Amino acid sequence: MSSTTLLGPQRFLTTAGSVVRGLGSEGPVAAVTAGWEEREGDDTELQEVMDGRVVNLRLHERMMSLLAQDAPFATAAITLRDAMDDLAGVYSIRLHHGLEGVYAVHRSTARADIVASALAEAVRLVQEVDRWYLRAVDQLHDELAATGALDDSGALQQHRGEVAETLSAASVLAIAGGHVGVLGRVLRLFEVAPPPELPVVAWSGGAMAVTARVVLFHDHTPTGFSDAGIWDRGLGRATGIIALPHARRRLRLDDRVRMSVLAGRFGDATCVLLDDGTRVALGADGALPAGTRVLATDGTVTALGVPTQPGAKP
Amino acid sequence: MSSAAPASASAATGRSGGEQRRRLAINRLKERLPTSDPGVIDRFLARHPVPLVEGRHATFVWRGSADEVMVRHRVVGLPDPLVLRPLGATDLWSATIELPEGSRVEYHFDIVRDGHREEYLNDPLNPRLAQGPFGATSVCAATGYAVPDWTQPDPEARTGTFTPMSLRSKALRREQQFSVYTPARFRELVRYPLLVVHDGYDYLDYASMATVLDNLIHRGEVAPLVAAFVPPGNRLVEYANHAPHARFVARELVPFLTERLPLVDQPDGRCVMGSSFGGVASLSTAVRYPEVFGSLLLESGSFVFTDIGDDHGGGPVFDPVVRFVNAYRARPRRVANRIYQTCGVYEPLITPNRSLVSTFRDTGMDVRYVEARDGHNWENWRDRLRDALTWIFPGEQKFIYE
Repeated sequence: MSSTTLLGPQRFLTTAGSVVRGLGSEGPVAAVTAGWEEREGDDTELQEVMDGRVVNLRLHERMMSLLAQDAPFATAAITLRDAMDDLAGVYSIRLHHGLEGVYAVHRSTARADIVASALAEAVRLVQEVDRWYLRAVDQLHDELAATGALDDSGALQQHRGEVAETLSAASVLAIAGGHVGVLGRVLRLFEVAPPPELPVVAWSGGAMAVTARVVLFHDHTPTGFSDAGIWDRGLGRATGIIALPHARRRLRLDDRVRMSVLAGRFGDATCVLLDDGTRVALGADGALPAGTRVLATDGTVTALGVPTQPGAKP
Repeated sequence: MSSAAPASASAATGRSGGEQRRRLAINRLKERLPTSDPGVIDRFLARHPVPLVEGRHATFVWRGSADEVMVRHRVVGLPDPLVLRPLGATDLWSATIELPEGSRVEYHFDIVRDGHREEYLNDPLNPRLAQGPFGATSVCAATGYAVPDWTQPDPEARTGTFTPMSLRSKALRREQQFSVYTPARFRELVRYPLLVVHDGYDYLDYASMATVLDNLIHRGEVAPLVAAFVPPGNRLVEYANHAPHARFVARELVPFLTERLPLVDQPDGRCVMGSSFGGVASLSTAVRYPEVFGSLLLESGSFVFTDIGDDHGGGPVFDPVVRFVNAYRARPRRVANRIYQTCGVYEPLITPNRSLVSTFRDTGMDVRYVEARDGHNWENWRDRLRDALTWIFPGEQKFIYE
């Protein structure tokens, strides 16, 4: 496995350029800026940071073009989107009730061992809701594939071929943040699967998209907390990691109970905080480097003392 | 008016209530009177924006010759009219009240001069005005109140589009005009939630709703949505539990829009809203057609009811409203999935609104109830829109990680 580097937001502190230069390769940088949606092409600043080496894959533009020109594909894609919206709505209901149960048990003043047992069971129920949701997501994508709309779309196959060709000639794949839902959708649609030897540098929402599970979160919405929940599977390039960009801005890190539930709920993964200036260069075996800031299961933020395999709980 | 400030305010400042009042600017001025300095009042008014807001106190002032000067404000709990007293032998009149942090009060003056009464005068010393269907009104903003930034035009926010539409309503037996808002970046391939707005043109004119929608959608706090801004015909009749109006909204307007626009064709994707009588019209529509709207947004709903007898005090226009609310309270039922309900604590409708919260909740509806230190006015309803709309149609903020 070649290198995978996850970065914090790049809006106020641009490190992506120096990270790419630090990789030592000089070829083209295949870039995904689809998370910027219709501003996808506004990549002048990115070109400057990457020394003019960027080849933008223009995945958002490709998707919009497909939707406009390929009616059977558009129908199938809209069916999937509507079903995903329905699924997400039902998931949020189940998730909210599950998490309310966890917090209610946390507040209980019953005998400690009883509370601990109940808490473990309440968290397990939330994990089961998460698993159900991911199975349902997979099923919906299978339904889309079964329509044949993807295989039958000549235009889609052509786009996929062009994307694969650009990737094969690239020395680095750079994935910017933005709308992580759109990002995930186009990465999946155009089968962006960087080969192991291709270095990947991804930041903010892009970093979320290269993990195995994309978890949405925001503790500072106008109406208060929103429940952190899974949205979709990611590329799976960085496994065992839940990427949490803008953690300081978006999470109530001082709320030990909520943070401990968040860290404990994704039991097989490590919650990695990606704030401004953060750089997490995964080891060749996928290990998180020493110094990586993570959420511990007691709800505190801690820095790893030594390189650690993702999923290991600090 | 008590001269004692609450213990918490005193503790915060380290001063007693009496001491706080003595230190108010108007009282310091009073201590300097009488004076031979003819410019003392001019300089005082030049130095202090009025009403004078100092901590928990607001002082209303009027300058001019008069026999009586009164502030009219319709704040429940305060004397209305609030009588101003002359400051010694000067032509400056004043009255001080306690005004809790975050409050906002709309007011005007009544003046009696030479036996002649002048009413509804805006405060000539206060440039801050709120606009409404009956004209402008002076505004007193307490400590801690600020006009929300999301109600002001943001040059970075792309604006939505308004399209005038009309349909021939069989229910109302007339051509009904309305205006339809579609968000910036509107695309036929996307399905949008629908918001039906009673008193639609007033919400646009007096609650800055176009700006509010543009800003909240731009920020990702509210989902891009389509809104139908519908003005009333005979408002006091049609909004007071009127079967033809409910039929128009549920059976004519919604299908009309759903046929022409890419809308989420499910109750969860639809909300009907209104304030005052518009709140009654929204609830009444949902009661008559409970399968149409997933959410209701009720601002200062005129939900007047009686527990016994029919002396509700609202006059004949409220008779059908009282019959409707009494009937609903006698047999409450689930008419939507979610209700966002809000009311100003300074308006008489706060009591019936508070009463209805548990009535709604007991039917299994998800109710978010919010009170504001404000009155029965359009800027109050404007200021609640962010909280309401982000709860009803949350935006894609959760997806954005730049």
